[in-house]
Amino acid sequence: MQAKTIKNLVVTNLLILIPFVLYGIFKNGYLLYEHHLINFWLIFKPLYLVIIAFLVKLMGDLFSYHKFKIDYNLLCLILVALIMPYNINLLVFFMSLIILYPLSNLVNRYGNINKVCLIYLVIILINSIFTNFTYESLLESSHTFSFTYFDLLLGRSVGGISSTCILASLIIYPYLTFSIYYKKEIPLTINITYLGLMFIYYLVTQNSASLLNSDLIFASILICPLPEYSPTNRLGKIIYGVIIGFLAFLIAIFFNSTISIYLATLVTSLLLNFLIWGENQHKKLAKRA
Amino acid sequence: MNLYKIDDQRIINLSNHIYDYLSPNKIYIPIKKRMTFKKNTYIYKNTYYDEYLTSISGTISGYKKILLQKKYLPALEITNDFKENMASKLKTKKITNREELIRALKDNHFNSIVEKLLAQEHFTNLIISSIDEEKYNVRELTILKEYYEEIIETIELLQKILKVSSTLIVAKNTSSESIKKVKSILGTYPSIEFVLTADKYLLSYPDFLCEYLNIFPNDTLILKTSEVYDLYLALIKKRCLDTLIVALTGDALKKSKIIRTKVGVSLEELVNNYGEFITNDYEIYLNGYLKGWKVNKIEDIIMTPDIDTVVFNVKKDVEEEKCINCGACLKVCPMHINVKLCYLKNVGNSKCLGCGLCSYICPAKLSLKEIVMSEENASKND
Repeated sequence: MQAKTIKNLVVTNLLILIPFVLYGIFKNGYLLYEHHLINFWLIFKPLYLVIIAFLVKLMGDLFSYHKFKIDYNLLCLILVALIMPYNINLLVFFMSLIILYPLSNLVNRYGNINKVCLIYLVIILINSIFTNFTYESLLESSHTFSFTYFDLLLGRSVGGISSTCILASLIIYPYLTFSIYYKKEIPLTINITYLGLMFIYYLVTQNSASLLNSDLIFASILICPLPEYSPTNRLGKIIYGVIIGFLAFLIAIFFNSTISIYLATLVTSLLLNFLIWGENQHKKLAKRA
Repeated sequence: MNLYKIDDQRIINLSNHIYDYLSPNKIYIPIKKRMTFKKNTYIYKNTYYDEYLTSISGTISGYKKILLQKKYLPALEITNDFKENMASKLKTKKITNREELIRALKDNHFNSIVEKLLAQEHFTNLIISSIDEEKYNVRELTILKEYYEEIIETIELLQKILKVSSTLIVAKNTSSESIKKVKSILGTYPSIEFVLTADKYLLSYPDFLCEYLNIFPNDTLILKTSEVYDLYLALIKKRCLDTLIVALTGDALKKSKIIRTKVGVSLEELVNNYGEFITNDYEIYLNGYLKGWKVNKIEDIIMTPDIDTVVFNVKKDVEEEKCINCGACLKVCPMHINVKLCYLKNVGNSKCLGCGLCSYICPAKLSLKEIVMSEENASKND
């Protein structure tokens, strides 16, 4: 058992994200370039998004602390960059982050709301309202594919720009569980609940479209267990995971499978904050009485 | 039971030899407030502070505030005359039975051992623990290696009086020369078994050690090697316990030293004689880096029987940050205390062992142990 600082933990997580960025460059860059759908410079779009996230963090830190700090905010912003849809405009992304990052910090003063999900969903909402927004890349929208489950495992599904590689997510999970700081129960319960419910749904309806949800696996391993926004005790983690899994299932069935996990996590973290607030109010009233 | 191996990355040059520093220039005796003394008064016997004896004879040369058991107390500064006029040898009779043993232990302030003996009528196992919890220290093992004859003599006396059926000497299985030597010595004593344990933290706590060894704790008497050596001095040699063995260690020192010195000597004097520092930018921890507590000034500390280790660690630029809610403190706590809740409410918990694992593991480097351990706040929580 080795003690680590916050900086160590964040750097480890950032290094873990490198394969995802590389896969994003391959899937949403190289393959598109090969089909003459984008120019050479757009191959590296996932990397540009990461650099933009880094720049926003740098600007925010210089403005508030006068020095750059490697902390969980940096990880959150980079995770936001990785889960963005391919069609996101770089300028829109930059401007959104500039506004939403300080706002999310402000929101987190009043409660622990999952910053990644909050920023992501607001950006998606803005894009859905003002643009012809789609989750598919240029290649995906111009061809009809028939993917096998192995293709989906490799990451050929529709989703975030660098978050679709299920295989990479499954490889990093056992590695992360070795760390004492990682809340390993959360991904496990989310996936068991989601897959369990999806399997029952498949048996009933014979519809397996949302069974392998790459963004759900990525977010359940890297976004939902983010320490600041999740419970610390074992039972709390299990309940938190089950609620997210259940909500993600409902959202995936009735609304949209790509954003299901992010919306479910945001709702659960709001619910958690509401419960804490309610408990505090109850204690205050009991004290007064 | 979760026992962890602590991977501390600091490099410490350990010594397995005990140095003697038995003629200090000055010692300090704590006194009660509002007591008045004349300068140059000759003192050879401590009648002012019950906890320990005056270990030298000499004259009062000054007055100073010292840090004793985390509290500041006034103390007399006594300059050694090097004449060794001291309270004479104890008049303890030869001990032949349990009652005489308890009486002798009471006379020599071995209160914790007396408590154990009074709590249990008969002990099946006697365990002598040479486990040095932290990697900063090999004090207990070195005492065993250096004074093995005295320790075995005391063990034989205890075996006879307490009528124990098995005796174990336990040490951590670390690759040191001392282990090899101790192993070869103890091999010739059939009544004593030498057991090596894994290099895991918390094994110096009796309950965890018994669980590890699969021994029922209630009929087991566990003594540290240093305690057994003190018993030898008091019960067999019939000497006043005016000396102590302290380890000066840490990565700020060129080499750690284990020193036998007089009770009441200042840490500053010991360091001036034995401490060779790599850097002057260090922080001091008394009784260990994890279990112990941090002190700010070297001048305030005097060597008392409750201090066994002084750690000098190179200062690291690590700032305390906001709790990130990782829950690692909850996972590592051997007593399953909700450390995070204690920290948020600023309350202590009486169950806390003070092992320091929560503070060690905290990535935000919060002083969690101090909050959870604090006795004043513990009552609030209870």
